[in-house]
Amino acid sequence: MILYRGKLYENGEQSRLIDELEGHIFETLSAREPLRPTEVIAACDRLARRAREGFYDDLALPLLESFGISYARYQDMVGAFSADVLKKKLEIELGADWDALPPIGKNTARRIAPLGVLFHIAAGNVDGLPAYSVAEGLLAGNVNILKLPSGDGGLSVRLLSDLIAEEPRLADYIYVFDVPATEFETLKRLARLADGVVVWGGDAAQRAARDMCGVNTKIIPWGHKLSFAYATRSASDEDLRALARHICATEQVLCSSCQGIYVDTADMGVLESLARRFFTIFKEENAAMGRTDPAMRGRNTVNLLCDELERCFPLILREEGVSAVLKEDSAPELSYLFRNVWIKRLPRAEIVSVLKGQKGYLQTCGLLCGAGERAELADLLVRAGVVRVTGGDLSRTIFGEAHDGTFPLREYTRIVEIDL
Amino acid sequence: MSAIGRLFSCKKPYDTVGTKELFLAAMRENCSYHAAHCKPYREILETAGFSPDDLKTEEDLARLPVLPTRYFKRNQLFSRPEKRLPVKVTSSGTGGAKSVVGFDVKTLWHELKMAVRICKFHHLWSMKPTRYIIFGYRPRKNSLGAAKSAFAFTLLAPAVSRVYALERREDGFVPDLTLLREKLVKYAKGRLPVRTMGFPAYTYFLLKEMQAAGIRVTLPKGSMICLGGGWKQFYAERVEKEAFYKLAYEVLGVDEGHIVEFFGAVEHPILYADCSAHHFHVPAYARVLIRDVDTLAPLDMGRPGLVNLLTPAIQSMPLLSVMTDDLGILHGEGCPCGNKSPWMEILGRVGVKDVVTCAQGAEEVLKGGTP
Repeated sequence: MILYRGKLYENGEQSRLIDELEGHIFETLSAREPLRPTEVIAACDRLARRAREGFYDDLALPLLESFGISYARYQDMVGAFSADVLKKKLEIELGADWDALPPIGKNTARRIAPLGVLFHIAAGNVDGLPAYSVAEGLLAGNVNILKLPSGDGGLSVRLLSDLIAEEPRLADYIYVFDVPATEFETLKRLARLADGVVVWGGDAAQRAARDMCGVNTKIIPWGHKLSFAYATRSASDEDLRALARHICATEQVLCSSCQGIYVDTADMGVLESLARRFFTIFKEENAAMGRTDPAMRGRNTVNLLCDELERCFPLILREEGVSAVLKEDSAPELSYLFRNVWIKRLPRAEIVSVLKGQKGYLQTCGLLCGAGERAELADLLVRAGVVRVTGGDLSRTIFGEAHDGTFPLREYTRIVEIDL
Repeated sequence: MSAIGRLFSCKKPYDTVGTKELFLAAMRENCSYHAAHCKPYREILETAGFSPDDLKTEEDLARLPVLPTRYFKRNQLFSRPEKRLPVKVTSSGTGGAKSVVGFDVKTLWHELKMAVRICKFHHLWSMKPTRYIIFGYRPRKNSLGAAKSAFAFTLLAPAVSRVYALERREDGFVPDLTLLREKLVKYAKGRLPVRTMGFPAYTYFLLKEMQAAGIRVTLPKGSMICLGGGWKQFYAERVEKEAFYKLAYEVLGVDEGHIVEFFGAVEHPILYADCSAHHFHVPAYARVLIRDVDTLAPLDMGRPGLVNLLTPAIQSMPLLSVMTDDLGILHGEGCPCGNKSPWMEILGRVGVKDVVTCAQGAEEVLKGGTP
């Protein structure tokens, strides 16, 4: 399904429409009245209100079900589109004076302008995310071209066409195409029209985007990330419990999900005692939450059985569908997911040297330590490349927080200066 | 004659009750052999505190260390010098790693006797010249197990012709569905029976395509559709057996009685063929244990868990108790076909395909690679 200037088309019309796209975009950019954030905010707010009243439940409920998201959480997510939140987002990301930047020098005005045209290459890992990515682009005043992820269930097109129904002026700023990732030349054509390419997805998607963009195109990479916990001997049982709950609740599939626990020690004995302490709590939280999917438990059990036979690791704790593997190395890595963690030594003096190699991949660190050492450790972690330091719940969300260490609206805009 | 030799000479291919003692003796013999000839296997037994002589009752089979197929993909364990293994088979390596399994002459002889008996039991032998359509590729030296077994399959009835559906191209294998469609339509006009062999998914896609194109033919009498290899990466597209049979009858005029499905694994080369009620009964040459997904403890009949396959067939490698990546159920009694041996129901592979994640590298891990 294609959404082009507010109208729906079949995929067969794709090449004809792309041929016309450049002309239409230039027309929009040449228009006298640019898109105002206030218009976007008002349209999003009306849409959010309808969503909150259950208007999208027919599409949303099956998705929530398959992602294991509660209806309350969905209502929270919808809240991200409300006027209050979007206004706050503008102020936080672009500054309280985003609409009236002070002049520079005597005679020069300064203003925040959109990048121009954004090409969003969306990933299929969260439904509704492609539409959110476009909404952010609109908020910054850009023309947006969206490539739907494969297997998109139609939610994005519906949300965006409803947004246009709320504010018909948005029609010229939203283009959605269903180009498969294999049509590289078509994607390249779309990328060539854009000032910025917003890429959601793992390394393969990021690399492909780099290949299709000219050097004069900005790439905004929302890549896949790795997160972990860092515990010192002062980590409390409550800290460990929050961490265990987080691991069970997210199944470790999110960018912010904890994959393993680093312990501030060089001693295997200390490591083992923390591992055993954590494992007891891990089992309790697992029992409280209910075990995860049997097919995933089976997969992990077989993998761990293999590890046991190979005797590569000093200790494997495996019970009731949860597991913790003590490892001798210190490399940050992915776990087996679905309630399996690695536990490794990482003395604080080595935090930077060990983690720095993963630059660009690190996201959240759940820091479990005493109050007196928290600032020092957080500082080291940040210098090593971590962008978020939390407690045991690594995936907690706060409205207005940065995305992977940056504010999207800043990425989607330019600062322009005009001599008067 | 050795216990293994006697087991594989057993004339009733599904007599799991009558072969109870013999199977145990054969497993003991096989276990001793590998303990003596394969050092890593001996170490595994020692670590587990298990000796071949501990195999005294059927319950002891569950205590025998079980090795995951993944272990064989990462470690090569041979109980005979590798160069003395005339046949080598490579698993399809879903998710990257492949295992190489080598067979010695004695093992191959056992395999052959087993295959002959099981095919005879299922009336798969025929003297009628037959046209074969293989949903695979032409076998070559060192090719995958699937290709070799597909070729072996064309020996069941004299082959007039063999058509292969997968074309080897630079970027992998591409199924040529158009060619198959044309051949099937052509063969339907002839008198010689046709046998197709391939993954259920490919067969299903072809049937669906022919249905969509409005093609309906009736293949000559005695034609068969044979399926093997499971749904693999197409698990999400899996259809109920009834729907599949209905489609096959509609498009090719082949009734349910002439659709047979096989199950087997490179690491467990025992032929499982489905009965008239489409159940995989356990042959006398093997046993199946279902294990708890968390504790690996053996489960009672009727309960779902990890599928552990046992056989003393192989001399070249310690493949006597392997853990597959499959989830399944073992059913005890009540199969309408009358076969008294327990039957195995495969529920699917461990791990699910459609997990969405944004954790760095998670896609590879979920596909089965090593992090």
